[in-house]
Amino acid sequence: MTVLGPGANAPLTSNDLTVLIRHGTIPGADIDVSAFLITASGKVRSDADMCFYGQPSVAGGAVALSGSENGEARFSVGLGQVPAGVEKVVFTATIHENRASFSKVPEITLDAGGVRGAIPCAGMTETALILAELYQRNGAWKFRVVGQGFNGGLAALAKHLGVEIAEPAPPVPTPTPAPPPIPAPAPISTPAPAPISTPTPASSPTPSPSTSSVNLSKVSLTKQNNTVSLKKEGGRFGKMQINLNWNQSQTQKKTGFFSKGSVAIDLDLGAFVETRDGKRHVVQALGNGFGDFQQAPFVRLLGDDRTGSVSDGEWLEINGDRWADIKRVLVYAFIYEGVPNWKETDGIVRVLVPGQPEVEIRMNEFEQDGSMCAVVGIDNHDGQVRVSRQVTFHSGHKALDKQYDWGFRWTAGRK
Amino acid sequence: MAISLSKGGNVSLSKEAPGLTSILVGLGWDPRVTDGSDFDLDASVFICGENGKVRSDEDFIFYRNLVGLGGAVEHLGDNRTGEGEGDDEQVKIDLSKIPADVKKLVFVVTIHEAEKKNQNFGQVSNAFMRILNQDGGAELAKYDLSEDYSTETAMIFGEIYRHNEEWKMKAIGAGFAGGLGPLATAHGVNVG
Repeated sequence: MTVLGPGANAPLTSNDLTVLIRHGTIPGADIDVSAFLITASGKVRSDADMCFYGQPSVAGGAVALSGSENGEARFSVGLGQVPAGVEKVVFTATIHENRASFSKVPEITLDAGGVRGAIPCAGMTETALILAELYQRNGAWKFRVVGQGFNGGLAALAKHLGVEIAEPAPPVPTPTPAPPPIPAPAPISTPAPAPISTPTPASSPTPSPSTSSVNLSKVSLTKQNNTVSLKKEGGRFGKMQINLNWNQSQTQKKTGFFSKGSVAIDLDLGAFVETRDGKRHVVQALGNGFGDFQQAPFVRLLGDDRTGSVSDGEWLEINGDRWADIKRVLVYAFIYEGVPNWKETDGIVRVLVPGQPEVEIRMNEFEQDGSMCAVVGIDNHDGQVRVSRQVTFHSGHKALDKQYDWGFRWTAGRK
Repeated sequence: MAISLSKGGNVSLSKEAPGLTSILVGLGWDPRVTDGSDFDLDASVFICGENGKVRSDEDFIFYRNLVGLGGAVEHLGDNRTGEGEGDDEQVKIDLSKIPADVKKLVFVVTIHEAEKKNQNFGQVSNAFMRILNQDGGAELAKYDLSEDYSTETAMIFGEIYRHNEEWKMKAIGAGFAGGLGPLATAHGVNVG
């Protein structure tokens, strides 16, 4: 059977296929394989079109990373389900942190539904490769082996494919253990009267360990990948939903003399909102500040899952059609009563914007003191929705406010 | 307008394009956007006599010999990267000025140093070769090199030849192993 070399193409026999990529391994350097949905412009429509380990299924499952181990990666592709406007599915391999070039593997072989290809890698200086592409030609899908790439690694590749880069990746000579918490929130370049770009306390000895990054999608925002931008034509985003959920089976043990058992932990969701006019609002159940969807602050809290018995947790909604009226939102979670035990609550905040990748932030900074957790910043960045992971812990509203420089005046309240 | 020419197909230029006096052979491709050596494609022409060979080495029109037949064949210049829109290399041919002992013109495309750089047409984006009526710009034939000649490094695109006092065009579209040197040799050029 013919094995296609770089440049060669062949028709596919089926629109539902498995793409198997055997890239081998390089000691001390991880190889990441990804797939991108590409339009006629040669770019992705948004970061949601990048299928990789952190977002294994895209376009409703049209392209899914179904397995990646032992030097190979497997994608399932349903070309019939690929959204209109997507003309190519591009498969890439990148070497994490450019620790080696592809000359370290003898070759990369490909199998797209029985159509086979091979890329000889001897002498390659590239650290990011476009391996192959599925593309449309005269109404039918074909497969082409590419075997070209970039010496500049993921950053250069991402730029080529239109995936946004948050900041250049600083070289990381040796793996360093991530310092504990207080990751610096992503910089926000919108000029704002109250700068919130550097809330890291001056005493913090270590800079953010951020090593990358591409703005990634469904996107678990982590310390390394802490920012994602959601773009939309015309700046309308529809109803943006923010969900807080947590491990509701976890209870706090009552240790008092008359204790009969335990009570569920109650996590509350809230947000600081600054509207375009500079006014600042607090949206939370405490103090009955449930907000308003149609009028300022264009953010509302749906009820209050006081008992934690509602299985899908608490919801905040942002009126994305009024996004132009919103300057910034800081979403936080707090433990209203009881001893903070973030580790056991295992909270997850998801940001859902229609037509956009789901963003997930886990409050997994363990052993933290403080009843407040700033979870995620959602900022109006030139009309884009910029979501940046925070996950910083604070003793209360006041401390949170102070650190993020919002300037509220606080009094005690009760639900 | 555009005549669809299948491989090996013949077309009478005087019938399909009456009044045709000058043609343009265009070669286009996109510059390389990935890292590595540029893709340097070259359009060349062999001006052949009765025996199907060049009459002299001067009849080999390429990047180092741009003008032939006293200006009846004119290569507009070498492009070494593919920079620019549309055709990146063009050869103009004034049919009315071609002397009678010239029986055919053969058009070829090659990748410069393809073997050394391990390149083929399939690695180049949007590479094509076409032939146009210079008057009005109607496309007479076009081949997609990137797609249909992906594993080739050189191709005999086509030829125009005299037949019963009229010019006919034959689309050949045949890949050729070895590049411009062997192609020139095959057409009777003394390659030094």
